[in-house]
Amino acid sequence: MALPPPDPQFVLRGTSAPVHALHFSCGGPEPDIPLLFSGSENGFIHVWNLKTHRVDTALDGHGRKSVYCVETMGGKDRLLSQGRDQRICLWDLAEGRTSVTDSVFTEHVGFCRCSLLKVAQGRWLMAMAARSVEEVQILELPSKTSVCTLKPEVGAKLGMPMCLKLWQVSCGSQPVLLAGYEDGSVVLWNVSMGKALSQLTCHQEPVMSLDFDSEKAKGISGSSEKVLSIWSLNEQQNLQVYKTHELVNAGISDITIRPDKKILATAGWDHRIRIFGWKKLKPLAVLDYHTATVHCVSFSDHSSPQHRLLAAGSKDQRISVWSIYAHT
Amino acid sequence: MAVFDTPQAAFGALRPVCVQLTRAQTMENVRQLQAHLAGVSGAALQELQEYVLFPLRFALRMPGPKQERLVQSLVQCISSVLAATCVKKQELLQELFSELCTCLAPPPSSGQAAPLSEELKLAVIQALHTLMHSAYGDVILSLYQPSSLPLLGFAVSLLLTLAEQEKAKQIKISALECLQVLVLQCDCQEHQHLDEDEEQQCGDLFASFLPGISIALSRVIAGDIKQGHKTTVSAIRLFYQIVGLVMADKQLARIPKSKEKLLVEHSRVSELMIHRGPDWTKSTAEKLSLLLHKVVESSSVHPHWKVRLELVELVHHLLRNCSQSLVDSFSHLLKALVGLVNDENSEVQSRCNTVLQEIAEQRIVAQNRALADVLSENLHSLATALPRLMNSQDDMGKVSTLSLLLGYLKLLGPKINIVLNSVSHLQRLSKALVQVLELDVTDVKIVEARRSEPPGPLQQGVQKGRCQKKYFRFFTEEKVFQLLQQVCRVLGYYGNLYLLVDHFMGLYSESGLYRKQAAMILNELVMGAAGVGVDFLQEREVPLNVDDLKGSVTSILDEYMDQANWYLVTSVDTEESSPEQSEQRLGLAVRAGGVSSDVLLLSSEPRVTTRTMNSNIWQICIQLEGVGCFAAVLGKEFQLLLLSALYPVLEKAGDRTLLISETALGTLADICEACGYSSVQCLINENSDYLVNGISLNLRQLEYQPRASQVLDTMLKNSDASLLPLVEDVIQDVLSALDQSYNNQASTFLRVLHSVMTALVQWFGVPSAEEHQQRQTDKGQSRTRSQGQWEVTITSQEVEQFFLDYVSQKKIAEGDLPHLEEEADEVSLAKPEPNSNTEGEAPMPSHAQLARDVMERCIHLLSDGSLRVRLKVLDVLELCVTVLHPHENHLLPMAHRVWPALVTRLISDDPLAVLRAFKVLCTLAQTCGDFLRQRFSRDVLPKLTSSLLSQAPVSARAGPVYSHTLAFKLQLAVLQGLGSLCERLDMGESDLNKVADACLIYLSAKQPVKLQEAAQSVFLHLMHVDPDSTWLLLSEVCCPEGYEPPHPSLRPVKLGGMGRPRNELTDNVLLLLQRLQQLECTGPRTSTQQASPS
Repeated sequence: MALPPPDPQFVLRGTSAPVHALHFSCGGPEPDIPLLFSGSENGFIHVWNLKTHRVDTALDGHGRKSVYCVETMGGKDRLLSQGRDQRICLWDLAEGRTSVTDSVFTEHVGFCRCSLLKVAQGRWLMAMAARSVEEVQILELPSKTSVCTLKPEVGAKLGMPMCLKLWQVSCGSQPVLLAGYEDGSVVLWNVSMGKALSQLTCHQEPVMSLDFDSEKAKGISGSSEKVLSIWSLNEQQNLQVYKTHELVNAGISDITIRPDKKILATAGWDHRIRIFGWKKLKPLAVLDYHTATVHCVSFSDHSSPQHRLLAAGSKDQRISVWSIYAHT
Repeated sequence: MAVFDTPQAAFGALRPVCVQLTRAQTMENVRQLQAHLAGVSGAALQELQEYVLFPLRFALRMPGPKQERLVQSLVQCISSVLAATCVKKQELLQELFSELCTCLAPPPSSGQAAPLSEELKLAVIQALHTLMHSAYGDVILSLYQPSSLPLLGFAVSLLLTLAEQEKAKQIKISALECLQVLVLQCDCQEHQHLDEDEEQQCGDLFASFLPGISIALSRVIAGDIKQGHKTTVSAIRLFYQIVGLVMADKQLARIPKSKEKLLVEHSRVSELMIHRGPDWTKSTAEKLSLLLHKVVESSSVHPHWKVRLELVELVHHLLRNCSQSLVDSFSHLLKALVGLVNDENSEVQSRCNTVLQEIAEQRIVAQNRALADVLSENLHSLATALPRLMNSQDDMGKVSTLSLLLGYLKLLGPKINIVLNSVSHLQRLSKALVQVLELDVTDVKIVEARRSEPPGPLQQGVQKGRCQKKYFRFFTEEKVFQLLQQVCRVLGYYGNLYLLVDHFMGLYSESGLYRKQAAMILNELVMGAAGVGVDFLQEREVPLNVDDLKGSVTSILDEYMDQANWYLVTSVDTEESSPEQSEQRLGLAVRAGGVSSDVLLLSSEPRVTTRTMNSNIWQICIQLEGVGCFAAVLGKEFQLLLLSALYPVLEKAGDRTLLISETALGTLADICEACGYSSVQCLINENSDYLVNGISLNLRQLEYQPRASQVLDTMLKNSDASLLPLVEDVIQDVLSALDQSYNNQASTFLRVLHSVMTALVQWFGVPSAEEHQQRQTDKGQSRTRSQGQWEVTITSQEVEQFFLDYVSQKKIAEGDLPHLEEEADEVSLAKPEPNSNTEGEAPMPSHAQLARDVMERCIHLLSDGSLRVRLKVLDVLELCVTVLHPHENHLLPMAHRVWPALVTRLISDDPLAVLRAFKVLCTLAQTCGDFLRQRFSRDVLPKLTSSLLSQAPVSARAGPVYSHTLAFKLQLAVLQGLGSLCERLDMGESDLNKVADACLIYLSAKQPVKLQEAAQSVFLHLMHVDPDSTWLLLSEVCCPEGYEPPHPSLRPVKLGGMGRPRNELTDNVLLLLQRLQQLECTGPRTSTQQASPS
């Protein structure tokens, strides 16, 4: 008999609003305290101290509008957050400061999370949904100069971009963008040329989330349907459906592959977190704790594998933190 | 009478006497000389020293037998001369020395000492003593040349013989003192210090005498106790002085490899001289070791404390001077020293301690590897014998054995690690400790002692965590435990903490037999490592590393709080857990794996013995104490560990076993103090997020639910409204857990819900309840006012008006105006109360929401099969209603849903439940009086009254046993509840009449007293609602006085009870009427009885 699914290692309470975004910062050397950033619907970004399990600081920078994306840029002192006030804020958190150093006005009204890619020391590329429908804009940070705007062909009718993933094969090579659209298709964009390389219709419904493993050249996407779609990128830069996985309950709000590419986690509308082996998409566990839709899942970046954590934020205002398959 | 100050004058005076003495050696002449000497000053005598000594010496040297008394007086005279002068010539010293010695010499034929008188011996000894003191510097050193070795040897052997064989104490002591002077170790301050070379020379010289002296002295020391302690003391002193001189490490180190060639003329003497080379040193040390052993053995148990004190000095002296040469003897010496730490004499004790302190401070042990080896060897053998000793010795013996152990450890100090690094040493030691610390687990009371229910909130200042008194199998003396504690702490202080913790953790998990002891030791080790309460001799070399300590503490805590070690069977109650649950628990333990195998065995036994439970209780207590220790040790640093530690401790604070819960409370107090919280409340409030996390996670497992609810319970009782958001969150978990398992866990969860609702009432309910009361009384007052308005003076018009009003009212009541009646029905439901108007719009506050959710569950549970559960539900329900009071819009629909189930409780349930249900109804009636009134009179009242009526004859006839029947209890419950309910519900007249009719028969004296009282209470309540009709009703039964109509136009009042003969109801009715009268007089209302229709 298989082991019963574990309980959360601990649960963080106190956001007093549904949680939409999570991001770990645990990679620092020993005296650094491991942190978890959470963005919630009331516009606050909470900085959780994972030693004491308490909020160190609460950042208020999005005018009490939902924060749906939180990322660190380099260390734990620089933070990027995206909110429903149509702004992307850059934070300076060093030495106890809590100030917004810069912000980008996106003029986009959807839920599409931006995607961040470090291209050089102190230089990032950021992909975000732009003002006009269907458009994705790439900015360079921190200079905020626009690199290019990715516009689908006329008449493609992709709809709004829903999720983005910037990546590059190796450091210094061409950055590439994967974007999931409202019509259920995933498009591969060459950022420097600004043109679509390949398009694949994975879902009948809008793509809610996707993640991509550049080593195996394989990606996974989820939508509001009952299906997970796994696709691969061949050498001709063409996207192909690799396989699909049927789910019991419909609706995936987030998908994340663990940094070591061994397992992946999905956040389900059915209140459950599902863990799969990434290689064969073997279902490993169903983590049942939340009492409302799970909005986001995130793996920690601990340097030693046995400390690795998984966190999930839910509409029930809790963040559950799990220690699972830490040793595999 | 120093008359002769100048040598000339003195010479003049002494000359005749001296000449006289030279001519005739008689006692008389000696006495004369002595007398004259007294008159000569010291300086003058010095000049004439040799002159005066000559006749005396001459007399001594006279060949042939002499009178003993003459010799004695001669010697005394010599010594008085010497006492006043100093010897300045080497020859004189040597000659005098030999002459004096010859006095004691035995006749050459016999080997025995001369059979001389004791006085003579004493005189000679004293003269020798004086002689040695009258010579100074080089002069005296001349005596210590190799050439005078035979002479010295002679004197030494003479004196030794005297010391050993004489009977007189005085002689023994004098001989020993004289010897002391002879070996240049005199106690007096006059002697000049020898320089190193001179000392070396003397050492060489005395080495020849060492065997003789040491053997003879050891015999003296071990001799009969009757010789007196002084002799023994001086013998010991001399012993260590001579040994310390000859075997001094400093001197031995300077000894050249090969023997020096002495001058030719001393060739015979040089044969006598000893070369203190390594070989000699070794063999001498071996022999001395035997002697020392003998000395130590006899003197360490000597009854006189001064002897033992001198032994301490011996050890001290030898340790200081001969720690290398005599290293083999130190095993005995240290044992003696350490053993004397607990001497009964305080002086010995304190000296012993200072000596130990000094040894430690000078790092004699730390710098001397060999000595450390000796000590660790001692330790090993002691540890080996320890379990046996602990078994066989009495408590005093144990104290001394353990103080020995402690002394070794303290002396070893930082070198302890050498011992600990050896596996066999560590194992011996730990096994011994573990064995000694075995607890006595036979006491049944520990298992039986229960915490009194219900547990109140944790007191503000719980007394600081004092360790619970433990009972051990092998000893009862508290001192033994303290020593053991010190042993562990000293180990922790000096020892490698990781190593020790690892080792004892190994023992901890090795077997259930060792677990408690190992935990106890671990606690003490950590305390020791932090330097708390350690009694040490020297500071450790490496200061404490806080991170190491924290690491160790964390790992110990993890082990302690592991499920297999923290959740043990401590009682056989099945009240909280059904058998299937424990089966599940068992299943879980199986899953948990092999670590907990022995625990598993315990729990899988069908019946757990008291002994096991006792043992488990102790284990938990010791672990709890450990948590307290760790907190105390880490201070604020412990705050981080609260995350994992607080929940389990709080869980134990709610344990039903008295000992556990008390210990846990102590631990909580410790934690508060360590982390700087002013009270347990504060601790819980500040860390409620950790608790909630634990509770919520534990609620997910069926078998942990009781415990989780216990913690929640404790938490709620000790926190305030600021906690509401968190509580709310976790209560949702509780409710969903309850929804999953109505059957099994209902009673557990109801307790939680009860405490939640109690807390809510406490936090939010009180003001609104008061406000409501206010409203009620307002209502009451306005009503009485309207009644009392026309009461001032009664005229006939007013009486007439009253009747007219009455008639019209009655018509309305009888249905003359049907449309009005309809309206009235609706009004009761639809008309909003004035102050609930504003609340209707506002969103419901979260605590009210919570109360509603809880109430929802109560509805389902109201018809639970178990009475216990039903009672609890009714309690919770009442609290819910209280909380929901200010939110009538929400309360009413809920009340509507609760009603059917509640009715069943009221009509057909256990009396206890009926009573509680009445209480709930009363509370409910405060807000929804209108809503309930009708339903009550329709659904409940008829059944209640009819059952009361039908039961009345039965109870009236019944005997005393009846009061134990269910029927009786039911009657009682209904009667007790009915009155207040009628009042609260503000019931209509017809209903009141029904109630009164039903209760009236219970006023009968034939009824059981309790029922009568209950019925009285009903009427008392009725009096509040409607005094008039009550009066009338009662008066119909029995009326003691007549009433005069106020106006002649009225007919005289004729009441049914007037003039009736006394019957069974009379007593109670009269009583009630009297109460009514009182009520009328004192209360604000005034009577209307005159106006009542007849």
